Amino acid sequence: MDWSKKKVMETGLPWIIPTLLVFGWILVSEFALVPGYLLPRPQEILSTAYNYLFQEPGQAPYAGRFWSDVRASLVRVGSGFGLATVLGLPFGLVSGRLPFAQKVMSTFVNGLRSVPGICWLPIALVWFGIGLKTTIFLIALAAFFPIYINTAAGARQISPILLQSGAMMGVTRLRGVFAVLLPGIMPDLMTGLRLGLGISWAYLVLGELTGVPDGLGAVIMDARMLGRIDMIMLGIIIIAVIGRLSDTLLMFALRSFFKSARRTG
Amino acid sequence: MNVGRRETLRRDEILRVEHLFKEFQLNGTKQMVLEDINFTVRRGELICIAGRSGCGKSTLLKLIGGFLVPTSGAVILDGKRVKKPGTDRCFVFQEDALFPWLTVEENIAFGMRRSPGAHSGHQNEIERFLSLVGLADFREYLPREISGGMKQRVALARVLILKPGVLLMDEPFGALDAYTREEMRDLLLSLWEQLGQTILFVTHDVSEAVLLADRILVMGKGPGRIHKEIRVPLARPRKNYGEHVPQLTRKLNEIIREKSEGA
Repeated sequence: MDWSKKKVMETGLPWIIPTLLVFGWILVSEFALVPGYLLPRPQEILSTAYNYLFQEPGQAPYAGRFWSDVRASLVRVGSGFGLATVLGLPFGLVSGRLPFAQKVMSTFVNGLRSVPGICWLPIALVWFGIGLKTTIFLIALAAFFPIYINTAAGARQISPILLQSGAMMGVTRLRGVFAVLLPGIMPDLMTGLRLGLGISWAYLVLGELTGVPDGLGAVIMDARMLGRIDMIMLGIIIIAVIGRLSDTLLMFALRSFFKSARRTG
Repeated sequence: MNVGRRETLRRDEILRVEHLFKEFQLNGTKQMVLEDINFTVRRGELICIAGRSGCGKSTLLKLIGGFLVPTSGAVILDGKRVKKPGTDRCFVFQEDALFPWLTVEENIAFGMRRSPGAHSGHQNEIERFLSLVGLADFREYLPREISGGMKQRVALARVLILKPGVLLMDEPFGALDAYTREEMRDLLLSLWEQLGQTILFVTHDVSEAVLLADRILVMGKGPGRIHKEIRVPLARPRKNYGEHVPQLTRKLNEIIREKSEGA
């Protein structure tokens, strides 16, 4: 059966590396090649995960905190990423289409972009204090650049013949943005949004490391101070899984809302 | 009755190009690309503009389309001066100009859906033009899934459906193989006859011009100018063999060669 073989290949291949890693990890901890306080056994992670996800809150440290942490983090990532999209997309379009606007913005944006995101942490803490606002500020700032830059590049490189085709078929400049320009640059747009969302998760952790009470990054930082390395590793795994899921969800949403994302993205 | 009178008055002339000059800035120096272009087109005529590459024939078409602004002179369509692109002057480009995210049917419907008026009649029109270009069975296909010839048929249908005052074609069959090119020429002629569409067709292939046109404007370069205007007296259908077509083609090629050597 050729078909099922292909199917197995497609669904199986992505799991090869994670499986090998886990297998290696089991070997290393079973033979005690690395002490347990540096690398806990996988079974411990599993029981921590069970405790963190499903136990009643209050029974043990971290018990049952998963949902409230995830909710807090999702709100932060959602707001920061949303803000970055709302700003990055229109500014990107304008800068890509109007040479004048590009001249005005590009030096400034590229200057800002070369500042590492971490540099903004101290000033964000002064401006916004510890918590929601600082985290959202850091996420929005970091996610803005990939969205802006990819949108601008797409808008700059779109075939002029597509725009001319729109114009001769009665599309006005503003309507053309939605009828021709946005669908025409959909692949670049999707790249920008995916990169932006990925970076949002990175800066979420940075924002939450500063001492907020809840969130996935906060749990990791808290666990470090209590020496709970199993909890740190669990936090990392959860962020990896949720980051991957959110990327899939983003693609799915774009593809269900936009023909162009379905057909050319 | 007034409307009818205006029709008869204007029946003859639809497009007038008057003392058209176009200058480009190239590396700081001005270069005259088109010099004093004058001609008129009658409603329903099929005109070919023939000339070597670089003679400014595409520039001329873009000026008529409103994508470029003339240095001086005017393009007058149906009594109105052309200032910007509009649905009364539609292009068929040489390259891929279809929207890659729309199906064949959606591409053809694109302009129609944006025009005001009876929406109930739109679907009928879309069906009619799908079958006129022979793509009814391919309506669900995306541009990347169909051949070059089929793409150009979609490009033709999506503008013919808007019934533009003049259809501007910029070497539309230049990227096709010889057999498909012949097929497309036949299709174009049959659509032209059925719809009474006025067409301005730019080509560097003189025999193509002879096979298609009522009149041929021969252009030369340095600066671009219309050197000769030739009425093609041959009855249709014309074939690219026998006596007449090759003879006229040879004659026109000679004129073009002469003019480009003189320049």
